[in-house]
Amino acid sequence: MPKPRKKAAPAAKSERPDSARIFLHGARAVFTSVQAMVLFATFIGYGGLCVSLGFPLGATLLSSAVIFAMPSQLLVVSGYIGGNTLPVIALGVFLSAARLLPATVTMLPYLRGKLWQQLIASHFVAVTVWVEGKRLLPSRPANERLPFYFGFALMCVTMATLAAWIGYFLAGSLPRPLAIGLSFLTPMSFLIALIRNARDLVDYLALILGLVLAPLFVWLKLPLDLLWAGLLGGGIAWLIHRWKRARRAA
Amino acid sequence: MNLFVGSELWPYILVIVAGFLPTDVWRWLAVVSARKLDEDSEIMILIRGVATALVAGVIMRLVLFPGGDLEALPLYVRAGSVAVAFVAYLLLKRSMLAGVLAGEAVVILGAYYTLPH
Repeated sequence: MPKPRKKAAPAAKSERPDSARIFLHGARAVFTSVQAMVLFATFIGYGGLCVSLGFPLGATLLSSAVIFAMPSQLLVVSGYIGGNTLPVIALGVFLSAARLLPATVTMLPYLRGKLWQQLIASHFVAVTVWVEGKRLLPSRPANERLPFYFGFALMCVTMATLAAWIGYFLAGSLPRPLAIGLSFLTPMSFLIALIRNARDLVDYLALILGLVLAPLFVWLKLPLDLLWAGLLGGGIAWLIHRWKRARRAA
Repeated sequence: MNLFVGSELWPYILVIVAGFLPTDVWRWLAVVSARKLDEDSEIMILIRGVATALVAGVIMRLVLFPGGDLEALPLYVRAGSVAVAFVAYLLLKRSMLAGVLAGEAVVILGAYYTLPH
């Protein structure tokens, strides 16, 4: 820890905080975050799922680090196994990731900096970093937020990628029933998270329609099964929501 | 692009082009536009619905038609695990942990009794 050289130092310090120290504070906060522990469990499960589906280890780790959004990752892996074409998978991912736009916008007030810093910072916005960022950032001085955020977010991605590797390794060495149990951990917890996070009628309707339509369309061997389930399920949910509201207003 | 389909590089190409880019484009768009979005505007509600249905759909596809080693597990075990997880979640004070543990128990016991190991 470098000591302030002169009396002038404190003033300079308030403008440029000791970024490295605050970065480490952020990184350390990951290990006391329950939300982050849930994230790691999810990524351990993701690693296990990737083994069972024959997705290579390198691609599993790469997807954890560069996508870092579990719904997108599940869509890529599922599309790969289902033999879907690249544009179909990309469109599904594009539609499912739209929720990251409002989430990122609400994070930006806490991440003031240069454009390139904000662009890099935005990569880490997903449920965990969003929830924990909103919990941890507001109480910190404005000039400490960006280094704290980067410490927290980078540690999250690093640990999540490591967790995926651990899951990949575990699934290969556990007894078969446990390995299969591990593979179902992430789909199962995501399903319950969807139910828990549903707020309005439109959420519940879209959830139920997606649950019913997707297997139906796969079973009917409809091309672009998932996309249709998403567009129709979401579209119908939205129409019913509008109709209900119009009736309430009338 | 067809050149790479089925090659060793294919999963990596999918991760970057079909996973990373279409995900991060929203994150970048948020920074570049930086507009306060009305979360309850009609278009955002529609987008939320489509995203929810898609994620619910991919989960069901992974559980009911997983492919790979998971297909060996009987369909009734896979479907049953989801149903049990859901019921346990609702009955046990909406605890996510209880739901996941109950569903996992069905999967693991089901795999133990129905699969050679």
